[in-house]
Amino acid sequence: MEQKAPSGMRRVRNRGVLGFALLLAILVVLPLFGLSPNAVRLLFVTFVWVTVSIAWNILGGFGGQVSFGFAVFYGLGAYAAALAVNRGLPTIVALLLSAGVAVLASLLIGLPTFRLRGPYFAIATIGVSESVRVLMTNVSMTGGASGYRILETGPFRQLDHFYISLALAVVALAASVEVRRSRFGLALIAIREDEDAASDLGVNPFRTKLLAHALAAALTGAAGGVYAQYAAFIHPQGVFAFSIGVAILLMPIIGGVGTIWGPVVGGVVYGLIHDELVASFPQLHLLIYGSLLILIVLFEPAGLYGLLDRWFRALAGARRIRAAVP
Amino acid sequence: MSATDLLNLLIAALLLAGVYAVMSVGMTIIYGVMKIVNLAHAGFLMLGAYFVYELYTHLGIDPLLGVLLSFPVFFLIGMAVHRILVRRIPISDQPSLTSLLLLFGLWLVLQNLGYLVWGNSDRAILTPRTLDVLEIGPIGFPTVRLVVFGVALAALAGLEFVLHKTWFGRAVRALMQNNDAGRIVGVNVDRTARVAFGVGIAFAGVAGGLLAMLYSFSPDFGGPFLLRAFVIIVLGGLESFAGVAIGSLILALVETFGILALPANYQPAIAFSLLVVALVVLPGGVAGLWNRRRRLA
Repeated sequence: MEQKAPSGMRRVRNRGVLGFALLLAILVVLPLFGLSPNAVRLLFVTFVWVTVSIAWNILGGFGGQVSFGFAVFYGLGAYAAALAVNRGLPTIVALLLSAGVAVLASLLIGLPTFRLRGPYFAIATIGVSESVRVLMTNVSMTGGASGYRILETGPFRQLDHFYISLALAVVALAASVEVRRSRFGLALIAIREDEDAASDLGVNPFRTKLLAHALAAALTGAAGGVYAQYAAFIHPQGVFAFSIGVAILLMPIIGGVGTIWGPVVGGVVYGLIHDELVASFPQLHLLIYGSLLILIVLFEPAGLYGLLDRWFRALAGARRIRAAVP
Repeated sequence: MSATDLLNLLIAALLLAGVYAVMSVGMTIIYGVMKIVNLAHAGFLMLGAYFVYELYTHLGIDPLLGVLLSFPVFFLIGMAVHRILVRRIPISDQPSLTSLLLLFGLWLVLQNLGYLVWGNSDRAILTPRTLDVLEIGPIGFPTVRLVVFGVALAALAGLEFVLHKTWFGRAVRALMQNNDAGRIVGVNVDRTARVAFGVGIAFAGVAGGLLAMLYSFSPDFGGPFLLRAFVIIVLGGLESFAGVAIGSLILALVETFGILALPANYQPAIAFSLLVVALVVLPGGVAGLWNRRRRLA
């Protein structure tokens, strides 16, 4: 169904695409101008977080299914990639394996819990997260609780990792945009708004949720794989930690849940400030995130992106008024 | 395995089920009246444990008395939380994303306040009677567990009385069955919800105190019990008090006897596996099974 957008709207959209292309170009060439290794690392981590934030938003934001258990996919992806790399498989294959394993896990979790609506899925994800972490601390093939090391064969090239993570974040963003535009995305939003009505209109809620869960899991698993190859050492208390699952949920919500750019904003903010925050307030940082979550739920459900959007609109409006009344 | 061992395990399971019921019943009330899954329950369990601990170590108040004191204190805290936070989110007859996230945020805040105040080392409440065992023939009853079970039963009996014999109890039950109809016949939804939230949190505090007498605890204490409470109320069909009792018993039995089949490492996975089984086999909980059979007959 082709719908002609008003020319003003098309201009705005074109400007958005142009701005995005510019931003991407800057990010691609930025590390070539002597950025410090630490700055490159920070950007790398930020891209990983942006990816998982976007992934969570596909299920949680568009579909309204809150999951506390994305650490499962992140951790499984990390382990799958680590095992694959140590068997001499190329990076791309390792990342595909990461995504595949995460998709399998998402089906195992989703098949029983999506049969029922309501909070079952959300709470079950807390349980899955704990169970998988316990399981992984007891699996001897991956070193159990003491962790697993990737044996590097070549020299460490930080920029390779940087570009891989950037590419993955772009893929995630493209997937999110594509979902939002597609029939599938509309079905997800319909389910979030009213599952009965969606079902009456011919949407299969069970299958749609399962598919969104799988897509989100694939992206999150791949992000875990990218991280594992950079870190070269992973352990269950790190990649399967409940706090990782919490972080993955907080980013899109703080940024602006259910939008395209909100999760990106959330991921960027989290990626850039998280290390600083943990370093300065080792005990307090989750307290800060928790309070932020409460404030956002109560006062600004559209998140930081909504707040920024409102400010820009107010600024633009003020300018227009000033222009009109000289 | 001898018959005595079996009997010992059975009794251990029964005694455990009492605490589990107290722990879950608060969640059921809140879910029933407001359709809110109270994730902050875990935070209040933890606070309940530290409340009793602080009273005992600093003021020398007996943990049992501490548990009794925790009821009114947590009742007031619960009402305040409802007033300040929960009331602001729209009422709905379906569990909403907003309420889930709000209470999750509250859990994060409580848990990390806990870390701030008490650090992350494990604490335990040790009283002179902690290690006492009451021997009846070949069977040993740990005294603490008996006492905890007694308090749990008393709390549940009190709740049962309130729910069936008072205006507030009738209002709660009415709202649980049908929110709109309850409103039509003149139930003050806001006040009932506030008191119900207070009662729910009060039970969380009491359960926390009781659990603290049995296990060591840290600010992380509530998480695994939150999952257990949820398993129990799912087994019980989410909105039934009798269901809570049955659910507690099932979980306690499976956990206690699970030790025979599974290494202790995997214990945390038991509750989750039970949840999945319950979701797949018994969508309406055990009570749902009962209703279905009655309908068929």
